[in-house]
Amino acid sequence: MATVQFDQITKSYGAVEAIRDFNLDIEDGEFCVFVGPSGCGKSTALKMLAGLEATSGGTISIGGRDVTELGPGKRDIAMVFQNYALYPHMSVRKNIGFGLKMQGLPANDINAKVEEAARVLELTPYLDRKPRALSGGQRQRVALGRAIVREPAAFLMDEPLSNLDAKLRVQTRSEIVKLQRRLGVTTIYVTHDQTEALTMADKIVVMKGGEIQQVGSAEQLFHAPVNVFVAGFIGSPGMNFFHGKVESGPQGPVTRFGGHDIPLPAKCAGMSGRDMIFGIRPEHIRVGEDGPGVALSLVENLGTEKILHFHTPGENVLELDRAQVGADEERDAQTMLIRVIDDRRYSEAETLALAFPVEKLHVFDPDTHEAAAG
Amino acid sequence: MIPTIDFSAPRHRAKFGYLLLAPAVLLMAVIIVYPILLSVSISMQDVRIARIGDSGEPWTLENYQWLFGSGETWHALWVTFKLVAVVGGLSVIIGFATAMLVNQKFRGRAAARLFVALPWAVPEVVATVIWAWMLDSSFGLVNWVLLTSGLVSEPIAFGSNPTAAFAAVCFVMIWKGYPLMSIMLLAGLQSIPEEQYQAAKVDGAGVWQRFWYITLPNMLPVVGVTMVMTTLWVFRDFAIIHVLTQGGPLGATTTLSILTFEQSFEFFRMGQGAAVGVLTMVLCAIISRALVGRMAKSVH
Repeated sequence: MATVQFDQITKSYGAVEAIRDFNLDIEDGEFCVFVGPSGCGKSTALKMLAGLEATSGGTISIGGRDVTELGPGKRDIAMVFQNYALYPHMSVRKNIGFGLKMQGLPANDINAKVEEAARVLELTPYLDRKPRALSGGQRQRVALGRAIVREPAAFLMDEPLSNLDAKLRVQTRSEIVKLQRRLGVTTIYVTHDQTEALTMADKIVVMKGGEIQQVGSAEQLFHAPVNVFVAGFIGSPGMNFFHGKVESGPQGPVTRFGGHDIPLPAKCAGMSGRDMIFGIRPEHIRVGEDGPGVALSLVENLGTEKILHFHTPGENVLELDRAQVGADEERDAQTMLIRVIDDRRYSEAETLALAFPVEKLHVFDPDTHEAAAG
Repeated sequence: MIPTIDFSAPRHRAKFGYLLLAPAVLLMAVIIVYPILLSVSISMQDVRIARIGDSGEPWTLENYQWLFGSGETWHALWVTFKLVAVVGGLSVIIGFATAMLVNQKFRGRAAARLFVALPWAVPEVVATVIWAWMLDSSFGLVNWVLLTSGLVSEPIAFGSNPTAAFAAVCFVMIWKGYPLMSIMLLAGLQSIPEEQYQAAKVDGAGVWQRFWYITLPNMLPVVGVTMVMTTLWVFRDFAIIHVLTQGGPLGATTTLSILTFEQSFEFFRMGQGAAVGVLTMVLCAIISRALVGRMAKSVH
């Protein structure tokens, strides 16, 4: 158990900077998730922490000890790999015990610890099987067993769930969290799946293009994203964006959306006359009240919830690169989504009146894409 | 009317496959199966010079009585096994070492890989003639180097000293045989997932431990296959020994294949030669079956 610190870490491949100014403090026992789209540097950061990749600058400390110049075996960490990286020629028992054997523990102690880890992970019946005789979920648990048996200062996990099917992934997700809570070992977990990040983490690190965008709890990232990218990346579906000019209305600042005045937060009073980016989450748009009317272009019924699509009014369309917005793939800039949970039947081409609750509106600077301060 | 068969139909697909296979099967029957049967038949006849199409002599086991009764066979068997052990063992070690070397990332790796593979690309007879010249006892390069560097006081008689001749044959066979080992083992090394090494590093395994616990077990099937190939190659290789020593001196390098040649084409006792050939074939079949089966089972 230990704290983990990244201090001014950089990583470059030739002229390409893969990671810049990476500063992060992870508390003892914390579950920290690195999340971001592919190529954002999250796996590289993890590999540098593991000692599998050299840093180009900065220092990494585990438990207050500078480990930057140490090999992976001397960092007192355990790692779970995406494809599990089990040793195919060894039985489950030997796979789990390999790290202990390398530490030079006596065979009796190894066996006792392996049996204990197998009991925790419900692997006891499979101890003498080879990995290829196991299902995906069981292999995954063997990989976890190999990590926990060593009682390391930190667990590193590199997308450990991505090779499992959807149902097993959800189940294993909660098992990992329970295990981590029980063992209390600092865990650094890499994923591209924001749902995994939100459900598992104490601390989420959102990355893009080798830079940390925001560090915070699921709550903070969801309700107070610092920029357009985080706002679009976190949440499923991600936040809707539109742009508009801030004007002064009788009761405070407003913007025009589909020919209607939309009240804005009071902090926008000082931005009068400026073009801003506004964001609102699909679940925060209210339907069936007074407000701008929109025609639905598509209704997706997911059983309990429905996703309603409508075209963003022409003058409000925000032309942004998808990579900048961090939005999921199935939407385009011209479409906004509403997520509703009710019993009403919606049909395509139906016109709805919408309301954007003022306290749920996010305001971003169009130049920096950062959340606008009042 | 000729009934037409639609070969793309599921129930006729197999027939089309057999049709396509037929030429290859026929060819194999003519150039492999028939000669094997023919040599088995010759080995059971008391013939000096066999003629195809002859009505043939009556079948007898005389050749096999000679085969198991004569010291020549047992000596040739002993020489063959010695050669297999030395050449097979050393070329696996050298091949493994060079494969690991050229599997590293370094500047000039492509050139290094080429150099490793080079002896394999030179035709066997050409290479052996050059080696025979270099190993010559009176004006060969090897003896000149050994003499001028003071390693030996008089030239080594590679042609007349049985031990030296055996060593020379081993050396040239290893030189010729290790590149194929190296190429196959390199392919094997490249198929070991990098994550296994990373996991072992995180588990605290050092260089030797990673070699022992990751590289070696992963490589066993490939090593097995290459061992079989080298064993069979040494068993049947004829050109190197024939060019270098003609099986001499005093039979020190007379392997089973050299014995087959001697009996058949020097002493013109083709029945006995064929018997040696049949013995070689049976031994090769047993060895490859045992090695392949065992290596394949031991890992996956």
